[in-house]
Amino acid sequence: MKELRLMKGNEAVAEAAIRAGCDGYFGYPITPQSEVMEYLMYQEPHKTTGMVVLQAESEVAAINMVYGGASCGKRVMTSSSSPGISLKQEGISYIAGAELPCLIVNVVRGGPGLGTIQPAQSDYFQSTKGGGHGDYRLLVLAPASVQEMADFAGLGFELAFKYRNPVLILSDGVIGQMMEKVELQPHQPRFTKEEIKANTPWATYGKTDDRGRNIITSLDLDSHKQEKHVTHLAEKYQAMEENEVRYEEFQTEDAEYLIVAYGSSARISQKAVDIARAKGIKVGLLRPITLFPFPKKPLAKLATQVKGILSVEMSLGQMVEDVKLAVECKIKVEHFGRYGGIIPTPDEVVAALEQKIIGG
Amino acid sequence: MENYTVERSKVELTKEDFVSDQMVKWCPGCGDHAILSSVANVFPKIGYRKENFCLVSGIGCSSRFPYYVNTYGFHSIHGRAAAVSSGVKIANPHLSVWMATGDGDSLAIGGNHFIHIIRRNIDINIMLFNNQIYGLTKGQYSPTTPMGSFTKTSPQGTIEHPFNPGELILGAQGTFFARGVDTNPKMMTEIMFEAARHDGTSVVEILQNCVIFADKTHAQITSKDLRDDHQLHLKNGEPMLFGKEKNKGIRMRNSRLEAVEIGKDGITEDDILVHDQYQQDPGLHLMLAKMAPPHLPIALGVIRSAMYPTYDDLVEEQIKYAKENSKIKNMDDLLNSGDTWVIE
Repeated sequence: MKELRLMKGNEAVAEAAIRAGCDGYFGYPITPQSEVMEYLMYQEPHKTTGMVVLQAESEVAAINMVYGGASCGKRVMTSSSSPGISLKQEGISYIAGAELPCLIVNVVRGGPGLGTIQPAQSDYFQSTKGGGHGDYRLLVLAPASVQEMADFAGLGFELAFKYRNPVLILSDGVIGQMMEKVELQPHQPRFTKEEIKANTPWATYGKTDDRGRNIITSLDLDSHKQEKHVTHLAEKYQAMEENEVRYEEFQTEDAEYLIVAYGSSARISQKAVDIARAKGIKVGLLRPITLFPFPKKPLAKLATQVKGILSVEMSLGQMVEDVKLAVECKIKVEHFGRYGGIIPTPDEVVAALEQKIIGG
Repeated sequence: MENYTVERSKVELTKEDFVSDQMVKWCPGCGDHAILSSVANVFPKIGYRKENFCLVSGIGCSSRFPYYVNTYGFHSIHGRAAAVSSGVKIANPHLSVWMATGDGDSLAIGGNHFIHIIRRNIDINIMLFNNQIYGLTKGQYSPTTPMGSFTKTSPQGTIEHPFNPGELILGAQGTFFARGVDTNPKMMTEIMFEAARHDGTSVVEILQNCVIFADKTHAQITSKDLRDDHQLHLKNGEPMLFGKEKNKGIRMRNSRLEAVEIGKDGITEDDILVHDQYQQDPGLHLMLAKMAPPHLPIALGVIRSAMYPTYDDLVEEQIKYAKENSKIKNMDDLLNSGDTWVIE
């Protein structure tokens, strides 16, 4: 049966996490995402599903609690906003190195530094290129609606366990704070002890006579072994690029121009496409849903069809580099963005398209 | 030898000199306004040049402080004000460094840096605003929130044991600890002045009311009908008397502090402890810091002010010693000091 609710994005991801069988949430207050933890606390999931919700003493503590929980084969998560996500980078690098699954939600605000509490998309580089130290990638999901905030909780856990890799939901202050209709998924039970034993043999569930010791580590002092380990990681990232690319196209069939935008920028750009079409400009939109892996192939294909691409982001221009790489600079690619917490209007996007791509 | 004391002002400064032109963005009725006023009162009395004050803060409501005081300021990183302050003071010992921080900023995320600045005894004055809540993020519990409190993140009551900041500070070998309340600006001004005079890290905990998210959290201490019986105003060299008629006092019995009434059960003023803030041994200071209503009054004023070498002084001494005793006196000495040889 369909369960419809009107929710904030922050509440939706929290509710969906409970329903996805999440075992533990560890967080720390920061605007504009404090509602994730607050919602979870009010739901008292320890009484229903047994999920634990803990307010840590810092974001660093929270991500390391996730590191601990993940090592037990449990579905664990944390959420924060940009400055807090920066603090988590050390833990994320270790979790990626130790090949543990977990879900991280970033409700992005403008930076650098303390920046602002208003929405931005300036954490694209940090999210898709590593963020912490070492050769690793996160699987990055970019929701453009409250519905996707909910959907990506379950999907995030699924992918995290499939690849034994941290999954990041890269949201922003718009998606986190706005309210929309959400269709919630039915409850999925938490993993049982037997399931953990059967499905996650790497987990630290105790040494019994029938199994060896598991040591969770991201260290190998033997460089040859470490190189082998990183090569294995690379193979996982390659598999993600082959199997997990997700994107959405909007009015691209006859498009002469293309806008590429994710998250809240995609929502704004969708309106911009309508405005431009009304003016007779044949423009379409490609919305990457996974930022890593990036939809390179569909972009390369569209590059043979359109005359130019405008990458719209609430940043100085970060994703635009991946767009250029994807089309191998065969056609014109420009960036348009507002930043520092300013949200562009659809009219500004159309004006940028006309100036930078059509007229330029 | 260079003189590292902070340069004094040649003209007499007033409160107005330290009031900035910024609009104060704290809620009406917030205890922070009283703390700001006390600081503006005490800074001219300290007598340093305005330019030689540096106010460092972390993140939180307390940490908006540097905007509102007309000195150099530094609104730094959540929890890191102690580390940033350390950097400021070590790099420029000529500054009088003040740190504005809160219970979330310094006792949760910044707990690590907080205990280590105290352990090092760097000459910095820390104002710890304790409102027992995260105010800026709108009402989550903090490490000083009383157990069982209902907050945004503890709808069924917190299950965490709160810190007593005084206990933490003295445990980290704090040399100066004082406690004030936002409802008593006169006392706040006095203890801040003493904090400024202290060589080493001084921590002034200010029990501050958050009218929005933890209103009346200190009511046990500040309410009109309770405050005389629940506040002990410590004065060095004076007996620990309290109560409206000053007929109650603190005595030590069976290695514990207890509140007694003078004239009752043969108790005289001679039985009452006399406060010695300069005592090196922190034992009694710790017991005083831990006192709390209803059985004991809370200790306000300067609880501990012990003399220990400061980190800044020891750094200077090391440099001085090295200068006097090193074989290297100039650049040539330095170039010829290590693994050097002559090519023949």
